[in-house]
Amino acid sequence: MKLSDLFKLAVSNLRRRKTRTLLTVLGVVIGTASIVVMVSLGLGMSQMMLQSFQDEGSLTMIRVYESYDRGDSGKAKDKQKTELTDDNIAMFGTIDHVVAVSPSLEVNVSAKCNGYEGGFTICGVSQYYLSQLKLREGGKIPGHDQNELSLVYGNQILYNSFYKPSNYDTYTVNPDKDTIFITFPTSSYSEKPTKTDSESSKPKEPKKYVIPASGIIAGGENDWSSYSYNVYADLDTFKRFLRKLYKKALVPDPRTRKNGKAYNYYVYDAAYVFVDDMDNVQTVQEQISNLGFNVSSNMEWLQSAQEQLGMVQMVLGGIGGVSLLVAAIGIMNTMMMSIYERTKEIGVMKVLGCDMSDIRNMFLFESGIIGFLGGIAGIIVSYIISFVINFFTSSGGDDTMSMFFGYGEGGSLSFIPVWLAAFAIVFAIAVGSLAGYVPAVRAMKLSPLAAIRNE
Amino acid sequence: MEPLIKVRDLYKIFNIGLNAVPALNGVSFDIYKGEFIAIVGTSGSGKSTCLNMLAGLEAPSKGIIQIANKRIDRMNEAQLVAFRRQNVGFIFQSYNLIPSMNALENVAMPLMFRGVDYKERTKAAKHYMELMGIGDQCLHMPNQMSGGQQQRVGIARALVIDPKIIFADEPTGNLDSHTTDDVLTLMKKIVSEEHRTLIMVTHDPHIASWADRQIRVVDGHVVETVINNESPIEMEILKENGEPPFCEVKKAD
Repeated sequence: MKLSDLFKLAVSNLRRRKTRTLLTVLGVVIGTASIVVMVSLGLGMSQMMLQSFQDEGSLTMIRVYESYDRGDSGKAKDKQKTELTDDNIAMFGTIDHVVAVSPSLEVNVSAKCNGYEGGFTICGVSQYYLSQLKLREGGKIPGHDQNELSLVYGNQILYNSFYKPSNYDTYTVNPDKDTIFITFPTSSYSEKPTKTDSESSKPKEPKKYVIPASGIIAGGENDWSSYSYNVYADLDTFKRFLRKLYKKALVPDPRTRKNGKAYNYYVYDAAYVFVDDMDNVQTVQEQISNLGFNVSSNMEWLQSAQEQLGMVQMVLGGIGGVSLLVAAIGIMNTMMMSIYERTKEIGVMKVLGCDMSDIRNMFLFESGIIGFLGGIAGIIVSYIISFVINFFTSSGGDDTMSMFFGYGEGGSLSFIPVWLAAFAIVFAIAVGSLAGYVPAVRAMKLSPLAAIRNE
Repeated sequence: MEPLIKVRDLYKIFNIGLNAVPALNGVSFDIYKGEFIAIVGTSGSGKSTCLNMLAGLEAPSKGIIQIANKRIDRMNEAQLVAFRRQNVGFIFQSYNLIPSMNALENVAMPLMFRGVDYKERTKAAKHYMELMGIGDQCLHMPNQMSGGQQQRVGIARALVIDPKIIFADEPTGNLDSHTTDDVLTLMKKIVSEEHRTLIMVTHDPHIASWADRQIRVVDGHVVETVINNESPIEMEILKENGEPPFCEVKKAD
């Protein structure tokens, strides 16, 4: 029998029982829609989460710190190996998938502004790192190796870092207008320890510096990112600036050799390794970790969060799956009924020489068509529901929903990608055919004698 | 002349509960091409069972059925379906037209099972509709037609595949006597004109008398065979073979 004839026969059989077909299709519509909407919620959530992680800091960045647990071994050589020196930084750069490495030279400073006091950390980082920063409009990234130091302020520093010592009254700083006096810490190291005693008797008033701000990290009072609480400067400019202050010690609190002399090279507080793709973060992270460094990345958080979300998605999908299961049972029931009604007809077809497989396929077509129609309609319904959900959770003005889900504006809670829609239709057809299989085989095996039995 | 159908020692025993109930108790006969055979018997005599086995709808318990040199008692269900599709037309008592198809589609249906093109099978169906004298009913649905018309559609459906054998199970059982005569005349005409083989089951001796040869079945035995001596096909067989068609007759005890 020709496939087109088989198909026509199946369609005409479905049309004979419009109401029942419609009701069965409706079951599939509900099943498909519930699965798609549930999965779309899961997808939307994970998308939002990804976005919120991306807002918070680059996902392709790995933070590297010196390992401290090796201190016990006492071997200076081992320790030296995991110090974040220029050599090690350069070595990180040779690892596969690493795009750039930035050391971070950090100095804690105290600051005063209009009688308010505060403190923050200045991080000297590479130009690449600085280029990753999102600045407020008008801001500029400090140039490379300048004569004069300029700073990029984290947005949170403006709001929360300055207060009055007497009553803890906070003050919002505006680096463009306010003058911020920055005091660098006095050096804990002096080349000639004997001299210090005499000098300490008349402590020098530490010098205050006014350093121009070249930019502010994008974001207002309620935006947080991993860049929000620091002040950034170009590494080489910063080094040059510090050399003037601390001479040969290079940094305010230098490490010393056994003979008491300060290192003549830089040991950085942290290093940031930038990887080309999110998927490679894990492998690079492992490699650096194996070298003996402490590493962390946002990917780790993301992964554990995604694992949890995966569970939520499975639960949501399962809830949807139950309704599709019910729909599948509905299809099965409809097909069974149909077979009982058409026992005679099927028998006649068999007597007249209709192949058994044709009879089976005819029924499979029928249930497959039910699945297909249900799937198509289900997708349409899903898009409508998805639209309604997104309307109420985002711009619709109802903040309670978005608060409930813990994600603010930007991004949609329900997200139906094309692959999900396509998958849902294919799945619905598959469920239809599968549910129709048992009845179809049953029809195939019906005795042709039923046809000639006269009632 | 070689017989088209050879039946030897055919048994059918139904197991109802613990009892074995014989429906057919060893029948043997030959049927030649072009014959119009009537299997006659009261209900429960085993006549329908016999027909069902000849058409391959039921498997015999024992015995041989050979049609056109093929042992159909050895075929599986799929083979039987294919065999029927190629060789067998079937006329039912209650017509058994598909209610969702119009008359023409019903007639064309067996050709659809063969995978014949829509155009071609519609043409063939139309031809047989006209042969049956219902060419004007093509687009009518079965429930819009009288019993006689429906049975004509049924006969056209049986003929459309150009079958070697046509089986008819009480074809006039649901028709009034006037229509019965019409339908039987038609069937007899087709058999003689197109040289088909028709095997009809009936309980009515009057209807059976239309046939070239009657095989009377009682309690699963063939008890009598009646040959219409005026029938041209029977005369031909007698002339050619020197004896009437083989049919084993057992006297009921």
